[in-house]
Amino acid sequence: MPPAPPTSDSPYIPSSISPSRRTAGRVLVALASLVLVGMALVQILHENGALGFGFANWRPVLYAFLGWSIALGIAQVLIRGEAGERALFILPAVLFTVAMVIFPTLFGFYIAFSDWNLSSFSGQHFNGVDNLVTLFHDRYFWNALLNMVYYVLAVFVEYAIAFGLALLLNAEIKARKFFRVAFLMPFMLSPVAVSWMVGKSMMEYRYGPVGRLMRVLGWHSPSFFTDPWIARISIEAMDAWVSIPFLMILLLAGLQALPREVMEASRIDGATGWQQFREMTFPLMMPVSITAVILRIIFKLKLADIVINTTSGGPGGATDTVSSFIYREYRDRSNVGYGTMLAMFYLVLIIVFVTMLLNFANKRVRRVN
Amino acid sequence: MRLHDYKHFLALQASRRALLKGAAGAGVLAALGGAGFGASATSALADEEGDLRAKILQIPGVGKGSPTDSDWQKVGELCLGGTKSTVKQGEFAGVELSFMGLNNQNLHNLLFRGFLKPWEAYTGAKITWIDLAQADYNPRLQQAIATGTVDFDILEMGAPFEGDVCGKGLASEMPDWVKKLIDFDDLVNYLKPPVGTWDGKQYRVTIDGDTHNFNYRTDYFKDEALAKAWKDAGNTTEWAVPKTWQQVQTVTKFLKGKQIDGQDAYGYLDPCKPWGGFGFYFLGSRATAYAKHPSDKAWLFDVDTMKPRINNPAWVRAIQDVLDALPSEPADQLNADPNTTGWQQFLGGTGSMCVWWGDIGSNAKTNDTSVIGDKCAFDILPGSDDVYNAKSGAWEKLPSGPNFAPNLAYLGWGIYVMARVEKDEKKKKAAWSAAAHLGGKDLAMWTAAYPSGFQCYRNSQSNIAEWVAAGYEKDFIANYLDSQFNSYNHPNGAIEPRIPGIFQYYSLAEDVLTKIFAGQLKAQEGADQIAAAWEKLTDQIGREKQIALYKASLGM
Repeated sequence: MPPAPPTSDSPYIPSSISPSRRTAGRVLVALASLVLVGMALVQILHENGALGFGFANWRPVLYAFLGWSIALGIAQVLIRGEAGERALFILPAVLFTVAMVIFPTLFGFYIAFSDWNLSSFSGQHFNGVDNLVTLFHDRYFWNALLNMVYYVLAVFVEYAIAFGLALLLNAEIKARKFFRVAFLMPFMLSPVAVSWMVGKSMMEYRYGPVGRLMRVLGWHSPSFFTDPWIARISIEAMDAWVSIPFLMILLLAGLQALPREVMEASRIDGATGWQQFREMTFPLMMPVSITAVILRIIFKLKLADIVINTTSGGPGGATDTVSSFIYREYRDRSNVGYGTMLAMFYLVLIIVFVTMLLNFANKRVRRVN
Repeated sequence: MRLHDYKHFLALQASRRALLKGAAGAGVLAALGGAGFGASATSALADEEGDLRAKILQIPGVGKGSPTDSDWQKVGELCLGGTKSTVKQGEFAGVELSFMGLNNQNLHNLLFRGFLKPWEAYTGAKITWIDLAQADYNPRLQQAIATGTVDFDILEMGAPFEGDVCGKGLASEMPDWVKKLIDFDDLVNYLKPPVGTWDGKQYRVTIDGDTHNFNYRTDYFKDEALAKAWKDAGNTTEWAVPKTWQQVQTVTKFLKGKQIDGQDAYGYLDPCKPWGGFGFYFLGSRATAYAKHPSDKAWLFDVDTMKPRINNPAWVRAIQDVLDALPSEPADQLNADPNTTGWQQFLGGTGSMCVWWGDIGSNAKTNDTSVIGDKCAFDILPGSDDVYNAKSGAWEKLPSGPNFAPNLAYLGWGIYVMARVEKDEKKKKAAWSAAAHLGGKDLAMWTAAYPSGFQCYRNSQSNIAEWVAAGYEKDFIANYLDSQFNSYNHPNGAIEPRIPGIFQYYSLAEDVLTKIFAGQLKAQEGADQIAAAWEKLTDQIGREKQIALYKASLGM
């Protein structure tokens, strides 16, 4: 049955529904909303000490939210009839988004502007922009952010290696399938496992095989995590080892999708391999390359596990990442308010950076096309 | 542990074991003879004290490798006497308890599982486990407290957290029957109240005594080539085990570039990599001799203001010592945390001196990773020729000689029952029964003698004959126990502050220290940064309450 034509009340509400039923629905939503807002307000004021009574925790407010969502569903049916029943299908997704995305984000922003140390006697309280001011003066955070620049720049080295491997595995070589699987294997490992297996075992300076090899080659004390730059490179090497296969597989897929006729025609026209790569393959691969690099940068911005396990950010913060720094702020210092401010600030930075990157990429791709 | 390290140690272990088999047997007999025991040492001991302790100390036997899960269960089964005297079989059927504790290489929860398995079988209770790595312990506990989501009935916890847990009414007060069962009076003095109490109520079943002691390699200081080189270098004193930090520094620098048994020789091993706040204790152990004046109970903060002392000349000198020693330590020392210095380096044969909790001593001869069992000796922490008086602001030389101040770091682990069991009497009794089982006197002897993560903490554990009967050499164990009990009972011991957020202070310090050790900050500059961060943290947590708790923790 087609939906009823719009009425003067609302373009979506069928006129066949009685006004009293609609009123009941609206009253139900209003009451449920009132209860929800009221309980949340009471709890906020109670937790900030402005109100003498309140709940022991936020659980009653959560129940009120569930009650509100049920009331909303019933009200939809009361007000809109069959159209309301259809709307019920999207209600779970809406509620889930509110509960798992919108609320945590808003709550996160609220906490970011709070002084909340888990050991504090006064608990959590709003402290305005204090955390932001602290952040701008926090040299350790900026140091970690600077390190992220190095790590992100290293993506281009990873890309070059991955492109080379993709070209190799796209060529008609023997045991191509075997090599494809072999090169993909590091990607299947957890970075935590890699940090133990490679960072703390193979690269251990006394007994590790890499250290022994380095000694054979003349490096007397092959310590991979003592010099800042060598430590950064060591961390990057481990991360690259896990992640290059990801880039490689994307690029390989891109190479396989290139139009064969064009490539063959260029070969018949006498183009050398280098000319073919420079004039055709690389430009044609630009859209895939940009997507792969952007995805890899996004992954790189989250780098933490290898650093935490291998160096704890040392020596002297040389390998610290923003994520490992935030992790310590939460884990070791139980500083929830400031930790959340760091996380939120980093999130905003990432959004701005990735948006700029996407805009740049779009322009490049359009130019190539 | 890493496979190549394991194989390396295994190869070395094989030769050590062969040596120990002969030496230990002869040593035990000789020692027992000296102690007035006959050929049948075990049975003689059994006559004196009943054979339970002698029996459990033979599981698996010193020099017979690390104990396994079945060993732990056997010990747990044999130590069920206290439980059987207070609980009927099957009395706790249907009771489910949640137990939160550590699960790392120091065993802890792994061990508790084994000990409590026979307890579960006898009582009918069931335990579920929340296992935490050491570095994750603090955040998990703090989150549970702050968010009101205590989801465990029994908690393994260190005394430094008592302010957070007991102070917020989250723990259950110890019943009198538990006090009797665990023989509360047997605890060494420094672990008696106020440790384990809050507002005069007893909360903790102590299962561990903690102090940092000094571990060193005897072969280094008996080595004739090193002794000659020492003289040749122009030193006027004898080549001997250092007694002060000044001597530790001299020896460490001297050993750079030297060899022993064909291996590179090293002196002191500093852990420089952050370790979730726990690494700060090791700087503390270098600093207490400088910073803990015998006339002043405080050493980390000024008691009346909570003004940090971390940037006073004593602490800065300790930091500078690390900086000065680092070029003489192994190449990767900046990336070494305490696990590395204690387990991989010192027990694995690298370095001649290290500071650790008592685990090194109890592991040297009983842990598969150790290759230094026959050449490891102990002392209380080194002293200092002079000590800084924070009140007068001057360095002083004491008429009694060097200042010694053992770092009583962490005050040991304890078992705490959470207040949430109070509403169910059966559950409450079950939880306390489990805690009492783990805190039992006989079990404590076993955990101190074998790798467990727990040191001796009872006066009854100072009976050398018991250790000798277990397979320890008399001189070795007497030396080890001296290092422990002389630290516990030292009049100038540096007491751990039981104040909320203590690991946040330590963690903040670790972040700056790593920069100092990497050469990015001068010692004083970094120490000033730590002090500023600590001041801020004190204000954040609440200065007045912190002052009161700090005073209380020092018994003031």
